[in-house]
Amino acid sequence: MSAAALLMPEDTTKPGNTNPVNTNPGNTNNDDFQLSNDADSGVDAFELEALQPSPEPEGVQGELYLPESNPEQPEAGPQIELDGMAKPVFAVQVSHAGNDAVQSVSFQHATTLLDSLEAQNVNVHYQCREGYCGSCRVQLLDGEVHYNEEPMAWVNDDEILPCCCIPKTDLNIKID
Amino acid sequence: MAYTTFNRNEFDTFAQPMFFGEQVNVARYDQQKHKIFENLIEKQLSFFWRPEEVDLTNDRKDFLDLPEHEKHIFVSNLKYQTLLDSVQGRSPNVALLPVVSLPELETWIETWSFSETIHSRSYTHIVRNIVPNPAEIFDDITKNEHITKRAESVTKHYDEFIALSTYYTQLGEGTHTINGETVEINLRELKRRMYRMMISVNVLEAIRFYVSFACSFAFAERAKMEGNAKIIKLIARDEALHLTGTQHILQIMARGKDDAEFAEVAEECRDDMVTIFREAAEQEKEWAEYLFKDGSMIGLNKDILCQYVEYITNQRIGALGFDPIFETKNNPLPWINAWLNSDNVQVAPQEAEISSYLVGAIDSEVDTADFGDFDL
Repeated sequence: MSAAALLMPEDTTKPGNTNPVNTNPGNTNNDDFQLSNDADSGVDAFELEALQPSPEPEGVQGELYLPESNPEQPEAGPQIELDGMAKPVFAVQVSHAGNDAVQSVSFQHATTLLDSLEAQNVNVHYQCREGYCGSCRVQLLDGEVHYNEEPMAWVNDDEILPCCCIPKTDLNIKID
Repeated sequence: MAYTTFNRNEFDTFAQPMFFGEQVNVARYDQQKHKIFENLIEKQLSFFWRPEEVDLTNDRKDFLDLPEHEKHIFVSNLKYQTLLDSVQGRSPNVALLPVVSLPELETWIETWSFSETIHSRSYTHIVRNIVPNPAEIFDDITKNEHITKRAESVTKHYDEFIALSTYYTQLGEGTHTINGETVEINLRELKRRMYRMMISVNVLEAIRFYVSFACSFAFAERAKMEGNAKIIKLIARDEALHLTGTQHILQIMARGKDDAEFAEVAEECRDDMVTIFREAAEQEKEWAEYLFKDGSMIGLNKDILCQYVEYITNQRIGALGFDPIFETKNNPLPWINAWLNSDNVQVAPQEAEISSYLVGAIDSEVDTADFGDFDL
């Protein structure tokens, strides 16, 4: 971008260019307001798009944008390939309080452990998804995680917040 | 001992506990004993919002169409929320500011209370929108026995602490005769009352509010009163931060991180912790009974709400390192998570940005690449 363009839009500085909008603040004559280029072209300056019927009925939670693809199955939505580097896969064992069933899932592609667990149908309570509410806290029985940013919520020594961490090793976690 | 608004003593900030140390003087944030409170202030400020930003025009029509028993649920829930925020908009200031000893904590308390006043303002915004005369709703908050009963349990621990701490800040420790009555003031008892008060504040923000949120979102889940739900989403975002704040205060106390006596007090009050949580859960269940006295609504009834009370109570007491109180293991309202998450709340039809954007943020970074094709 040139220096002139930074200061002023180019077309208004060209001599001879008839500015469609009157810039003289003293002149209030309405005749000056005309869309000069379109006046005799016979084509409307603006075309209204035909209204498309809404695919969903009105009133459904339209403001909720959940991910369209499964973060743990990136084949579904192509991602940028890392040249010659395979992403490590970490095994994640999930046990639940008051329930003997153990779910075995894995972490590979997701941005956070919480995204990964949700993509594999593990239910974890959540609210803020950025580490300040602490709703998603789970017990870390074994393994290590990495936080991109230190979470603001209080985290007990044996707990992790899946919403803002990724595994560094295989994990064994327990959901209360 | 008397409270002074600007302490003339020189002292080492890092040697001060959160409460009952030197009274604060310079409001400075260059040296911080507990960095977490600074982070909470920053976060809370970035959350700033105004109720008028949320469009409520559709809610009026929705409200008029609700059957009578659902109107009762909606209005009673709103009255309860108004009560809770009326208390929270002033009480942390009144109770904690006279005895706080760290500037960052002092400012956090003020920031925290201030955001509760925004919540109160938003209830007036909602009420004005659904009824022609707001007084008929607000006046009932002090008259309706079910609400006043709630007020009593919500404010009990605040009032007990404030009663003793006002004497303490004026007279100091010792046995005093006040208006012909003998009052024994000792710091240990005051700390005990403060710890119990912090527990009850945590219960208020982490359980009572969430039960009321569940009701608000249950309407929105059926595409009713959605403007209201957008406001409640913003309130829920603030409350999540406040409950993190009280959890930190409680844990710093319990671990004796800056006042060893508080660790002993916390140990003595372990039973109180369980009692306060359990009582609050029972009160919330009684409230659920009152809410649904004339009938349930689609998606929410007394039993489901009571299960949610038990679930959320277990979660919150667990966060403080205690064993769960109730048997309930699963969240009976799994859809509530998506409503509590405020990332994608669209506050007005023309406002398509996410609500967590920073007001007035500018990109002030200029590097040499910006001048690449600049010639004179």
